[in-house]
Amino acid sequence: MTSAIEWWAVILVVGSLNFLSRLSFIAVFAHFEMPPLVARGLRFVPAAMLTAIVVPSVVFSAPGTLAFTYANPKVVAAAIAAAVAWRTKNAVATMGIGMVTLWLMQWLLGAARAA
Amino acid sequence: MIFSRLDFVAGVRDMTPPLIGLAPFGLVCGVGAQSAGASPWEALGLSALMFSGAAQILAAQLIAAGAPVAVTILTCVVVGLRFLMYSAAMAPHLKALPTRWRHALAFLLTDQAFAAGIRRFRETGDTRNGASYFLGTGVLLWTTWQVTCFAGYWLGNVIPVAWSLDFVVPLCFLALLVPTLEDGSTRVAAVAAGIAVVALDALPMRLSLICAGVIGIAAGMLAEARRGSS
Repeated sequence: MTSAIEWWAVILVVGSLNFLSRLSFIAVFAHFEMPPLVARGLRFVPAAMLTAIVVPSVVFSAPGTLAFTYANPKVVAAAIAAAVAWRTKNAVATMGIGMVTLWLMQWLLGAARAA
Repeated sequence: MIFSRLDFVAGVRDMTPPLIGLAPFGLVCGVGAQSAGASPWEALGLSALMFSGAAQILAAQLIAAGAPVAVTILTCVVVGLRFLMYSAAMAPHLKALPTRWRHALAFLLTDQAFAAGIRRFRETGDTRNGASYFLGTGVLLWTTWQVTCFAGYWLGNVIPVAWSLDFVVPLCFLALLVPTLEDGSTRVAAVAAGIAVVALDALPMRLSLICAGVIGIAAGMLAEARRGSS
């Protein structure tokens, strides 16, 4: 049983460090100029970080097990969702169609396995 | 005065539709906290103070697995390192604001708020406009986040596992990712990061995440430099 102290240690330390991360450059660059190299690199932060977050949740069917094939419902659903996001730039449509595709693929694969 | 009611309301209004998709994400975080054995106050601390879905899910998983507190803290902080980068991207736009505003907006700096805020700043180039808009976005997100995490915590086992509701989490981030892929070099950055995060998956404490991010950024900068010189 995890004690309250352990929970609160995590909550308070991570909470503070998260806030410091979020504040970091905002506080610092209020007083200094940002080096041009840093400015150029920043443009790529969202694309790189968001991809790094999304990809593992989609291509690994279990921790350590790569399943980057059309037989993986998550891969198909993510591909379709990406196409929807590309065309519509609509977050709700992306998530809705992504989930529906996932359920459809899971059902189809379940049915195929039973047959 | 910095605060512009018009832009604040615009921020709230624009972020309202995406909440429909964000709500399941919050529910998943609340469910995770409950199944990891968090008390109601601890669950509230997770959503209100940590205020990061990715970190909340990780913390719940690691604590439930009995990981040492130091490991849990370190992993959550590593996942949150992307906030350093959001902070750096936002910094030039917030330069002119009073300290109080900078701190408030920094606290509200999440993936969704960043995406919406940075776009507004780039479109309008106006500090008052962007800051008020960002505040509206952030306040709406923070409040809704508390509500959905809380709901997930109490509803917990009511939601069947078969629904695969946790897939909304990558979908949520995917919806944010695609609009950023506006040119060749950013796409290179994304592809590089995607390959790296899979290749480095065996690294402990989710270090693959921050390494892949850095590799992606480097790849993007290289692609941009080559494009410029040819």
